[in-house]
Amino acid sequence: MRALAISLFSVALTTIVVANAYYQKKQFYPSVVYITKSNPSMAVIYIQAFILVLLTGKLMSKVFFGQLRTAEFEHLMERAWYAITETCLAFTVFRDDFTPKFVALFTLLLFLKSFHWLAEDRVDYMERSPVISMLFHMRVLFLLLVLGSLDFHFVQHAYQSTMTNGASVQLVFGFEYAILLTMVANITIKYVLHTIDLSSDAPWEDKAVFLLYTELVMGLIKVILYVAFVAIMVRIHTLPLFAFRPMYYTIRDFKKAFNDVILSRRAIHNMNTLYPDATPEELQAADNVCIICREEMTTASKKLPCNHIFHTACLRSWFQRQQTCPTCRLNILRAPTPTTQQPRQEQRPRPQPVPNPFGAPLPFFNPFQPLPNENAQAPAPDANQAVPPTTPPAQTTIPQPSRQGGTQQPPLPQFTVSPFMPFSFPRFMSPPPIPPQNFRSLSSEELRRMEGNERENVEARIKCLQNIQVMLDAAVLMMNQYTLSIATSSTMPSPVPQTSTETTNGNAEPTATSNSSKETEEPNDNSSSSGSSASVGSSNASNHASVSLTETDSTVISPEEELRRRRLQRFQQPVEQQQ
Amino acid sequence: MAGSALRRLMAEYKQLTLNPPEGIIAGPINEENFFEWEALITGPEGTCFEGGVFPAKLIFPPDYPLSPPKMQFTCEMFHPNIYADGRVCISILHAPGDDPMGYESSAERWSPVQSVEKILLSVVSMLAEPNDESGANVDAAKMWRENRDEFNKIAERIVRRTLGIPT
Ligand SMILES: [Zn+2]
Ligand SMILES: [Zn+2]
Repeated sequence: MRALAISLFSVALTTIVVANAYYQKKQFYPSVVYITKSNPSMAVIYIQAFILVLLTGKLMSKVFFGQLRTAEFEHLMERAWYAITETCLAFTVFRDDFTPKFVALFTLLLFLKSFHWLAEDRVDYMERSPVISMLFHMRVLFLLLVLGSLDFHFVQHAYQSTMTNGASVQLVFGFEYAILLTMVANITIKYVLHTIDLSSDAPWEDKAVFLLYTELVMGLIKVILYVAFVAIMVRIHTLPLFAFRPMYYTIRDFKKAFNDVILSRRAIHNMNTLYPDATPEELQAADNVCIICREEMTTASKKLPCNHIFHTACLRSWFQRQQTCPTCRLNILRAPTPTTQQPRQEQRPRPQPVPNPFGAPLPFFNPFQPLPNENAQAPAPDANQAVPPTTPPAQTTIPQPSRQGGTQQPPLPQFTVSPFMPFSFPRFMSPPPIPPQNFRSLSSEELRRMEGNERENVEARIKCLQNIQVMLDAAVLMMNQYTLSIATSSTMPSPVPQTSTETTNGNAEPTATSNSSKETEEPNDNSSSSGSSASVGSSNASNHASVSLTETDSTVISPEEELRRRRLQRFQQPVEQQQ
Repeated sequence: MAGSALRRLMAEYKQLTLNPPEGIIAGPINEENFFEWEALITGPEGTCFEGGVFPAKLIFPPDYPLSPPKMQFTCEMFHPNIYADGRVCISILHAPGDDPMGYESSAERWSPVQSVEKILLSVVSMLAEPNDESGANVDAAKMWRENRDEFNKIAERIVRRTLGIPT
């Protein structure tokens, strides 16, 4: 209502101005000259033109977009304000060319820009709208065609003008329209992708990847355009301040797109290499609904080390944000991977980068409980020998087992074995050498000598950490094995479980070879007992099988056996609770 | 096929309509836009908010459920975990990594496992048991700690106002 009143008022004013001029001069050309010479008249004409532009804009947006959504309108207003301030900045740079034609060109540019923004918002909205009508497609296609051809025309015009007349304001327009042209291209690609996705009945999993790369390529083109523009402007004119904000955002967006592509690639790589596809049985066992999209998992699904199953596509987009399991938040980058390539891992350094030896906390528990203390108390053996009497007395009073030997052999830390550990520490676990505490008290020669030793020590520490990692892998494997053997012995009372447990044994054994003999026989015992229980009570229900398993064990009375029986019970409990 | 965010929101809407949790109603404001919901939350029994019906707005990001929605009460609220403008500040609405208050553990943060229903239930329990360590509304937190009677009085006034009863 108010808009209508303002437009009517403006039309009335214009009529008065024109009528007045014509009344005074009686002829066309003198009237025009009169109006252009008189500032108040010109102001009225400008306002009239501005209102006409707004009205055209409204009409056009009705034609191409229908009713604008609130979010779209707010977005448009926000961007328009920035664009207007930038235009004002641009005016200060080109104040010599400040003519009505120039103002009109800038207004047209703003006008077209807002339609680009609206088109972008509309196409982005396609993915989120439950109803996409035929009218929508017609409108978007027509609008893209019009915008694209206009942009192209203006770029060409600016190019020719610059070629024939030399550098002028046309350079700015040419550049702005080139940016808009890339925007049209971007919107078109998105539109095509969304349309393909909408027309298919199944979710199109690779769409996200296509969108990602489109964003990257378009971002790159825009960044190149901006950099070229700023470089040219600096050479022939001044610093184009008005281009800095959009340039900053373009570069930021490009950086983000680049990061996204890297993260996505990493996620895809991880998924293809680290996680197995979920088998139909596993899908049946789970409740078969992907927790990310709440849809059934019939298409490709992946199983994480924590046994949670998701759609491959859902997981991929999640991993771009975070490298955790959505359900249990297990950090999947740090989690040990129970692979089948266990043999001889103790000789071969693992490909993964070893975390900072003393910085990062170890995943489950610290096998070298006294490490922090020793770190403070016992310097490395060699440094120890060379310690001059200036060292603090506190250090010398503490008994140091490494001192008597004074050899390269590092001191043996006392292990505090967690009661949950199914095996004690194998022999290949050489404890890490301890770094000396104080370097200041050493002479340069001693330091140089120590440098060589330190290198060995650091290597030894890294090796130790690798060993820990291998052990943790082995621990996970054994846990799996326990649960598996119990589960198979209880659910399938046929000879099949025996073979299956034996195969998993085969995988686990090499890691355990360097363990004490007690440890290697444990899984064997486990499987044989499950086998025997299966043969004895083939008709037994699950609980009976597990009970007989513990009974066969308890017939042998030895402290070791007793201990193992208790451990087995501990592992059985969660399994039975699950069943 | 529509976008995955839209499909998931539709699924959640269906679920909430078929099995509505007690004291909670939620759904899109307009069925043409599933990314803006309104919710009505009943004040939990036995608390100072008992009996009130609090309207709120939920705005979902285009990449839902990878990112959490935003929630804002559209009525007047006075609560330690609700900003003066109605925005709700609870850990389930924050993605791990952004921690405006610096006190939340990542275990309670947003992840795709969460849902509209879980958010609204968390808000109900937040109404019942404010976390006065969060400083979304410092005045409310202070009053909750030190002057519970006054807090209850304000809450009662708000409850009456949401029900349209003159105070
Ligand atoms: Zn899924
Ligand atoms: Zn998990």
